[in-house]
Amino acid sequence: MSGRFLRLPWRSPSRRRADLEDELRFYFDMRTRELMEQGLREQDARREAVREFGDLEYTKQYCLAEDAMGTREDRTTDIFAELRQDVVHSWRTLRRAPGFAVVALITLALGIGATTAIFSVVNGLLLRDLPYADPERLVRIWGAHTDSKQERGQVSAADFVDLKARQRSFATLGAFAWGGGTYIGTGDPVQLAGLRVDATVFQTLGVKPFLGRTFVAGEDSAGADPTLVLGFGAWRRVFGGDSAIVGKTVNLSGRTRTVIGVLPPLFFFPTVAEAEIFAPLDLTPVLRDVNRARKFHNLGLVGRLRPGTTFAQGRSELTAITRQLEREHPDANTNMSVATVGMRDAVVGDARPALLVLLGASLVVLLIACANVAGMLLSRAVSRRQELAVRAALGAGRARLVRQMLTESLVLALCGGATGIALAFWATRALIAAAGEMLPAASQVAVDGTVLVTALLVTVGSGIVFGLIPALAASRGMQLALKDATRGSSGGVTRYRMRTALVTGQLALAVVLLVGAGLLVRSLLELQRNDLGYSVDSVLTFEVNLAGPRYTSNDAEDQFFDALYTRLRALPGVSAVGGSGNIPLRGGSMASLAIHGRPQPEGKLPEVGYQPVSDDLFRAMGMALKRGRTFNAGDNGSAPRVVILSEGLARAFWPNADPIGARIRLGPNPTEPWNTVVGIVGDVRLGVAGDPRPTAYVSSRQDHWGGAAVVVRTAGDPMALLPAVRREMKALDVTLPIGSPASMSDVKSNRLADRRLPMQLMIAFALLALTLAAVGVYGVMAYSVAARTREIGVRVALGAQPRNVFGMVLRQGLGAAVVGLTLGLLGAAALGRVLAKLLYGVTPTDALTFVAVAAVLLAVTLVACFIPARRAVRVDPLEALRSE
Amino acid sequence: MSHPPIDLLQGTVDVLILRTLAWEPMHGYGVSRFIRQRTEGVLTIESAALYQALHRLERKKWIRAEWGLSENNRRAKYYELTTEGRKQLRTEAATWRTYAEAVFKVLEPI
Repeated sequence: MSGRFLRLPWRSPSRRRADLEDELRFYFDMRTRELMEQGLREQDARREAVREFGDLEYTKQYCLAEDAMGTREDRTTDIFAELRQDVVHSWRTLRRAPGFAVVALITLALGIGATTAIFSVVNGLLLRDLPYADPERLVRIWGAHTDSKQERGQVSAADFVDLKARQRSFATLGAFAWGGGTYIGTGDPVQLAGLRVDATVFQTLGVKPFLGRTFVAGEDSAGADPTLVLGFGAWRRVFGGDSAIVGKTVNLSGRTRTVIGVLPPLFFFPTVAEAEIFAPLDLTPVLRDVNRARKFHNLGLVGRLRPGTTFAQGRSELTAITRQLEREHPDANTNMSVATVGMRDAVVGDARPALLVLLGASLVVLLIACANVAGMLLSRAVSRRQELAVRAALGAGRARLVRQMLTESLVLALCGGATGIALAFWATRALIAAAGEMLPAASQVAVDGTVLVTALLVTVGSGIVFGLIPALAASRGMQLALKDATRGSSGGVTRYRMRTALVTGQLALAVVLLVGAGLLVRSLLELQRNDLGYSVDSVLTFEVNLAGPRYTSNDAEDQFFDALYTRLRALPGVSAVGGSGNIPLRGGSMASLAIHGRPQPEGKLPEVGYQPVSDDLFRAMGMALKRGRTFNAGDNGSAPRVVILSEGLARAFWPNADPIGARIRLGPNPTEPWNTVVGIVGDVRLGVAGDPRPTAYVSSRQDHWGGAAVVVRTAGDPMALLPAVRREMKALDVTLPIGSPASMSDVKSNRLADRRLPMQLMIAFALLALTLAAVGVYGVMAYSVAARTREIGVRVALGAQPRNVFGMVLRQGLGAAVVGLTLGLLGAAALGRVLAKLLYGVTPTDALTFVAVAAVLLAVTLVACFIPARRAVRVDPLEALRSE
Repeated sequence: MSHPPIDLLQGTVDVLILRTLAWEPMHGYGVSRFIRQRTEGVLTIESAALYQALHRLERKKWIRAEWGLSENNRRAKYYELTTEGRKQLRTEAATWRTYAEAVFKVLEPI
């Protein structure tokens, strides 16, 4: 019985009103007839029926309201039921075409995975809150030279004290200086990177310690007990995560310090993320030294703006104070200012442009992947036209069909997205491992809630993007489909045009990425071709810091290094050994320069690079001696001071004269003796991209730094020498660690990492884009050949040669490629500015890159067209004509 | 009519309609006639209340409607009990029986 009852289909409001009128009219007619049977006249019967009915108007309103409510509820349940039906149907459809499903899935997973992984880095560094309280009120303050572009320098102690006393914008202002140490425990000594911080630094950052406490006022003064705060990483790695560490004493560089606290896991020190140990900073000795107080720049500053004070106010106030200081202390502060930078910008620094470019590139890959899947769905729609037509004939409306096909795309997208997100977990970890120094705070990067939600949105968005076009196309072509079951009908032509447009767009996007990758490759090649001024091959370098009571005198230091160099020189394969304050790849120091017999310039003295070096350093580095001599054992503490100049320095200050024999003074102290110039060496570049810096080299026997970067030139693999080096060091002093041992070429390579990683990722994205675009070209050409089988058959029957047919297909494919290439190159030229910050030695519209990309793209297009073209050649005219 | 007709509460109308439709699907007029005949005129449901109830019950999905042909070949809206309506009828009938018994227990001693 109930099977007879189907639920009434959805009714419009006017339809519901008419139904109600019908229903009531039926009642009144029947009731009137009944009353007439009881003897009333028709007119009376009708009046009586209406009278006894009750409130008719109210009843109508009541019933219509109930009907409307019911319809709305039905509609909702219908939508859910249909959705469920669509999802189940989609799943079955995909399972029936596993080949298509797998290719689409991989395509989407790669696109979504790449985007998610890059986004997790962007999120960690650019979006997520920094691990400080109210980070938007924090600033980092650097010393700056207004005459050069140097904006990442340090501030002198006296300037810091004046800034702190005169400013009103900041609630707190803290200073820190570089200063790690060697932890001497039970095992091998460990060198730890660290900072000395004044008592307000952690308070300024607003850090809640993980264990214990941070420094309190007075703990950074001269008489205080030596204390230490540990970073979470050092606490876990070096001290085994000892939960009772607070209150224990540790031996750091020969000094006993009490651990007072451990910092939380996510904390990293702004702009010095590698710092792991923190000791109090006492400024009084420097402030007392009249020559160093204002001329020795070694402090980094952090500040917290007062509530209600803007960043701009804080910055302009500090700049104004540095102007006052410039007037008050012209000898020290001429051209000295500070650069105040918001904490986010300070921390992220140079990584931002690279990250944004990569995020853009990954989105382009995703777009290409979507276009590919859309193309595949368009092709599939052809074979499914009959299925869709049958569904339409059975009463599915156009909206319903579009909805069903979109559901299919979304199911596909969600499967691809899930795989992509799994991929992103792995890729993010790989990225962090590969990034090295490029990521200023790798600890902040993770696939977290924000990333997952974004990935989900991207997934759903891409499902709609690649699903909507084929869905609309399919539902439009549907009306024709039942009448006309042949392929290549008019619906096929629009679809083919749509696919060609998609493929052209893909090619254009791929070209943009290829140009980007090409420019980055060219930049890196330019950088690697840069002559550093020395040779990095087969050189081992490591750092030695002389700590402890054995090395308090200059003689002890000289003896140690003489002994070390002698021992190392005796190792097999070693040809030269030297030591220097810093190796040029890791930076350098500066000193002011005064020339004997020349008038003092107004204001401040010029600043030049400054390095104490050992006798044989130039030979070990492979730096060329141009004139004069190098240092030797005779240039010791009791001998007259000597200096060797870099060519650039000599040229700058003695443009028309021979500087050898000239006398100069280095550093701010006017009581320092004059140094006689004894030689000139070739220029070396600072870092990998920097310009050669005019530098003065003094003998490390005449300026003692308590340590050195040792350079060992050998015949074979420099790292193979390391065990022997360790042995020799132990033989000299078991308490001294070997700091940052590395081959010089690895150091150089690391310095290039922040350029190499973006380049590698860009290459990966570009290749992925190119592959996807090639698959797209192949797909559209194969489809076109299949759709035109009959036409090709006719042509062959009419005498077309295989050569002509082959050429016809290739021309068609190349047509799309040329349009895509043109659009892509125009796009790349327009977007070049975006890349400008990442380029070195090439312009964004580098002709060589553009030509190479064009050649690659055309070659790949030809390859992608080859199989369809061969298939076209093999079309048998008889069969082609008979088959339809 | 020995007794005057009794006014019915909304819930009572609902349960009577459900019970009526439990026999067979009927149109609104059929339901009203059935109840009149069955209670021999003691319970009259005002037709306004009846139609309001039918549409209310349809919205609650206790009954459903379809257009069919009446005995005299006219287009009429037929109502049928749904599974849910049948369940509802069972619980309401039980409640009614308990209620009636309770009332009787009080009234009986007269």
